[in-house]
Amino acid sequence: MSATAVAAKTGAVSVQNVVKIYQRDSQQIKVLDGLTLEVPQGEFMALMGPSGSGKTTLLNLIAGIDRATSGSVHVAGTDLTPLSEGELAKWRSSNVGFIFQFYNLIPVLSAVENVELPLLLSHLSKKERRERALTALRIVGLADRSKHYPRQLSGGQEQRVAIARAIVTDPAVLVADEPTGDLDSKSAEEILDLMQTFNREFGKTIVMVTHDPRAASRAHTQRHLDKGVLTE
Amino acid sequence: MKFAPLILKHLRKNWLRTTSTVLAMSVCIFLFCVLQTVIAAVNFGLHAGSTRRLVVRDYVSLANNLPINYKQKIAALPGVTDTTIVSWFGGIYRDPKNFFPNLAVEPEAFLRIYPEIMLPEEQKERWLSDVRGAIVGRKLAQRFGWKIGDTFELESFIPPYRVGKPFDFVIDGIYDTDEAKYPGTDLGAMYFNFKYLYEATGRQVGIGTLTAQIDDPSHAGAMSKEIDQAFENSDNQTKTETEQAFRAGFVALAGNLALLLNGIGMAVAFTILLVTANTMSIAVRERQQEIAVLKTLGFSSGLVMGLILSEALLLGLMGGLLGILIARGIITGLTYVPFLGDVLRGFPNLGLSPEIAALGVGIALLLGLLAGFIPALLAYRARITDALRQV
Repeated sequence: MSATAVAAKTGAVSVQNVVKIYQRDSQQIKVLDGLTLEVPQGEFMALMGPSGSGKTTLLNLIAGIDRATSGSVHVAGTDLTPLSEGELAKWRSSNVGFIFQFYNLIPVLSAVENVELPLLLSHLSKKERRERALTALRIVGLADRSKHYPRQLSGGQEQRVAIARAIVTDPAVLVADEPTGDLDSKSAEEILDLMQTFNREFGKTIVMVTHDPRAASRAHTQRHLDKGVLTE
Repeated sequence: MKFAPLILKHLRKNWLRTTSTVLAMSVCIFLFCVLQTVIAAVNFGLHAGSTRRLVVRDYVSLANNLPINYKQKIAALPGVTDTTIVSWFGGIYRDPKNFFPNLAVEPEAFLRIYPEIMLPEEQKERWLSDVRGAIVGRKLAQRFGWKIGDTFELESFIPPYRVGKPFDFVIDGIYDTDEAKYPGTDLGAMYFNFKYLYEATGRQVGIGTLTAQIDDPSHAGAMSKEIDQAFENSDNQTKTETEQAFRAGFVALAGNLALLLNGIGMAVAFTILLVTANTMSIAVRERQQEIAVLKTLGFSSGLVMGLILSEALLLGLMGGLLGILIARGIITGLTYVPFLGDVLRGFPNLGLSPEIAALGVGIALLLGLLAGFIPALLAYRARITDALRQV
């Protein structure tokens, strides 16, 4: 059974009874407290809540860049809990796309080189990698800026390059941490339009953390976290 | 190779830091190469000495001559098969900056005892029959554009050899050697007939050094002792040693110098290591966010560590190659510096050898690796969430 089929059956994201405790010096801070969340395949979900409620931590667990203290996390048909660091890295490279609030493009690389980065981990030829990166840039409307460096792009354009980088490996799940948090309203609208497009036309499952009610309104569902538990 | 652009672009972005690190590294390698080349040149001359040749000289100082009759007494000792006077003349050709070794010898015995001095038969015959004749090494002839039959004058700075006018010489032969068989033979020297010096100074001069060839190298120690004992109760006691030991005495100071220079080189290398490690640490610390992003995209910790190490190794390689280029240029260039160049040309094999150059690159790579290891390890261990939280 393929990962997509498994995901369709079980939900693209399945978080079961997850507890996440951070150790800060001698203090233990419980950030997620027995949280359970199901995100169906093709869903566009907004996670909202006050600062410190555990939104980003939950997003990090779904993206496979952090580990739960207890409980299980299934994403795109894979149980992330038993995977080693190396296996997790490999899994991330093809199953999840991450969109950051501050874009996090590599400043020394051009737009197309930034988009091409995740493909360096694939077996694609140089030509194929470049073609795919250009296609991704074309989809986000920045084909004409492929050779520009991040410093030569506006915030909205940088975020679009970051989105192209997130989708270039064609992952099943996109996670976005405040993707419009650093943008003006017009750019924010463009980014949200793009995310909706990926959700509707390419069937990508999107989990987005946001404080912005307007951004959240673009999602199919909104879930609220407070003190590590889902409140609605 | 597909990650090379990422590494190169980082180095290019911080070009000032990259350049200064590469320059620092190159200074270290340059220093290493020059020091090792000098040490190798000195040691090369040391190994060139024959074990069958003993050098007899005044016990107190090389500046004192031995009585001329010592030659006969030494030649008569059992085990001594041949002897020749080899006296340092200290002649200046036109200007002190034209320095080259020039020695008064007994041509026939000298050519027998020193088979590495190779002359065509007709040149040999001409020299043996010409008291004013001299033979010059191939490199010396090239240096001054001399050819057979040319004449030149030398004036010694050693008082007993100053006779109120320069000594004039005719070039009877240009000697060469078999460098495979006799490595280290000086092709930049000149030899002339001791008889010419002896007669010109009114038979007043003695022997600077005397080379005695012995039949059995294993008896060199006993023979040396025997020679010295023969003159133990005379006014001019002798000091006899193998040619290698004699040369070693000359380079003993150089040996200590080598120790000192190696110490300096080590200190410089260690300093460069700290500087480069610091540079790499700063570079990695500045890229915490980028490292987190790479890991988020699926780059494994090992791969990220490899990229940082590759960057450090590349810095080392560039520094090493630049250091070798500078060393090569300086070593060649110094031989054109007045006086110093003449001294350096006295070392027959002075030049940056491929072995030393390869060692230099190896050290540069090792320095790069050591400098990059801790920062790379930090990158390896960096947790994505911690690094992203610092943004």
